[in-house]
Amino acid sequence: MLGATESICPRCRRVLDAQLIERAGRVVLSRSCPEHGAFEATVYGDARRYAEIQRFDKPGEAPRERQTESVAGCPDDCGICPEHAQHTCLGIIEVNTACNLDCPICFADSGTGHQEHGYSLSLEQVESMLDSFVAAEGEPESVQLSGGEPSIHPQILEMLRAAKTRGIPLVMLNTNGIRLARDPRFAPALAEIGVHVYLQFDGFEEASQEAMRGRALTEERLRALDRCAEAGVSVSLAAAVERGLNEHEVGAVVRFGVEHPAVTGVFFQPVTHSGRFRPESDPLDKLTNSDVIEAVAAQLPDWFRSEDFVPVPCCSPSCRSATFALYDGEDLVPLPRLVDVEQYLDYVSNRAVPDLDVREALEGLWSAKAAGGSAPVAERLECIACATAMPAELREVAARGFMIVVQDFQDPYTLDLRKLRKCCVAEIAPDGRLIPFCAYNSVGYREQVRREASRAAPAGAPR
Amino acid sequence: MSAGAVEPGLASLARGGELADEELKACCADAYANPAVRWLLGEELHPGGAATTLRTLELAGLRPGERLLDVAAGAGASAILAARELGVEALGVEYGERAVEAARADAAAADFEASVRFLRGDAEALPVEDASFDVVLCECSLCTFPDKRRAVAEFRRALRPGGRLALSDVVAEAGALPAQLRGAMATVACVGGALPLGGYEELLAAGGFSLARHELLAGDADLFARRIEERLRGARLLGIGPPEGAPLRVEQAIDAVRMARRAIADGLLGYAILIAQLSEPARSQT
Repeated sequence: MLGATESICPRCRRVLDAQLIERAGRVVLSRSCPEHGAFEATVYGDARRYAEIQRFDKPGEAPRERQTESVAGCPDDCGICPEHAQHTCLGIIEVNTACNLDCPICFADSGTGHQEHGYSLSLEQVESMLDSFVAAEGEPESVQLSGGEPSIHPQILEMLRAAKTRGIPLVMLNTNGIRLARDPRFAPALAEIGVHVYLQFDGFEEASQEAMRGRALTEERLRALDRCAEAGVSVSLAAAVERGLNEHEVGAVVRFGVEHPAVTGVFFQPVTHSGRFRPESDPLDKLTNSDVIEAVAAQLPDWFRSEDFVPVPCCSPSCRSATFALYDGEDLVPLPRLVDVEQYLDYVSNRAVPDLDVREALEGLWSAKAAGGSAPVAERLECIACATAMPAELREVAARGFMIVVQDFQDPYTLDLRKLRKCCVAEIAPDGRLIPFCAYNSVGYREQVRREASRAAPAGAPR
Repeated sequence: MSAGAVEPGLASLARGGELADEELKACCADAYANPAVRWLLGEELHPGGAATTLRTLELAGLRPGERLLDVAAGAGASAILAARELGVEALGVEYGERAVEAARADAAAADFEASVRFLRGDAEALPVEDASFDVVLCECSLCTFPDKRRAVAEFRRALRPGGRLALSDVVAEAGALPAQLRGAMATVACVGGALPLGGYEELLAAGGFSLARHELLAGDADLFARRIEERLRGARLLGIGPPEGAPLRVEQAIDAVRMARRAIADGLLGYAILIAQLSEPARSQT
């Protein structure tokens, strides 16, 4: 046994004591509901590494404001409640439920047809949600507008601008790229506001596109990327990864991203099974962070080793791992080969940190609020390089740091409440609550928010 | 480069010159005190880092309360490690003045001022009493000493009866190595002056030691070389050149390290721990 925690019953959502156990080298979360029986799910594919990375657990920081009281106990008081042990690095606002795709893997249950409890937020609502975020965080570092498909919201540009005018440095648009491909004015408009695009990009093969997105999208994605490059918009590729579908394409996505002038990073997300996708799939077969990391290393052996991916210390260590790579068109070297990142981000071993400025700089990079190529990242890389006996003329070069993130979100099967309490990614609800992302998708908040929002601002109503 | 100006010895290497013995010693000491070199090699400055040091001391049977002499102690990492992990009293002797200062500061910072001391001195004329140590440690350095026989004689003099010599060093089939891995530059890099395993055994035997055991660390040697290669490639990617007058361009250094990695793969170059005991009676010394 690796530890005790709490989880929920995936059927009735009641809170249950749970055990983390090692089985065949993997980490399994196990618990039993008196009514619905035993449930098990794989939460990390490499038990040895799982134990080893627990030292990258930086003590949490309190938010400035908490929005809810502790009444029913975790995870039923979200918003952020006094039990939560971390502030919010990244806030997400889902501006609508409508979409111009019908992806089989959608965890948000969005689509082109009639939306049960569909909604479309107004600009005023989004502004008030941003204000709540600012009140909670003081100076929030990053926000992502998502959906549905946010780019088809008629006021999306005003919403993005509203985030920028509140001084949030990293404002992202999470999009499938269809509008970017079809509307030549969209990328320049994003460039003018200063938006970073988080572009759905799972791979290149038609079969995996069909299975995950319902149709082949490569041509539109490539056009969207070229328009971003032309307009000067930086892009992170966001790849959902599913076992047996596109896990063999992760290397190709990284290679493509490293070469494309608009792309500054890749975010891999093992597909969560909390929406409509594969409800029959066995949670013990779920792909996890370590599986994706090993796939990247195996498919790009000249570029990466598994150890290049270091856990992000602000959330729980098995939630998110990241690396940065320097590339000049010929050679690529991951940053952890140049700086002993693991040594700096170790919060448990009782060792002196050689240089606190370097730790701080690395914390800025290994964070849920970072995206490759953004200005704060460039400054932090510069600082790191300085402190390791390198010269100062790095600003331009450091901006080339290419970021790869592997982020495993939890579903009702994998939900570990101990991890959840340290979550630093939050859905911002229309009433201003900040609901940890994995609670939002696993515990019933999504459905609740959707019902309330659709009463207030139904999709298709005149805006 | 924040490492500052290049020392005269290194500059003369850049001209392809051979060095007089004293110049070579100074050159090695300067090179290993240089922050850029320490960034390339890691603080322990030898393959396997702290793990190799602890393994070496374990094989030598170093016990709490014993006295350890670390010859060519660099910035003191191994002496401090031995005091912390094994509870021994340690003296580090190091040729480079700056390294001695850094080592003293580190020992003070780690609260080991009382049990770990450092002295400036030459391995070929150790500033220590006869028969005053239980174990002499010399890591990745004997290969760089111009007069290895004198150094071994000094190790012998420093050891009390029953004392052990704990070496870890580069082993090389020097004759089979490519020309770029020989010569003065390669000596500073611990390759040019390295001996084959049998060579160390002869050297030790001539100095009155018998080789008790040895362990080859082929994996550590390649990991060490790989780290250097990757950091050099990182320096190239970041557009960092060596300072004016440095002995090698980054590109040449990358080529040399790659050549060394091939030699490691071919078994011509490696790293080994050698534990020797004083043989009784002592053989004639030179």
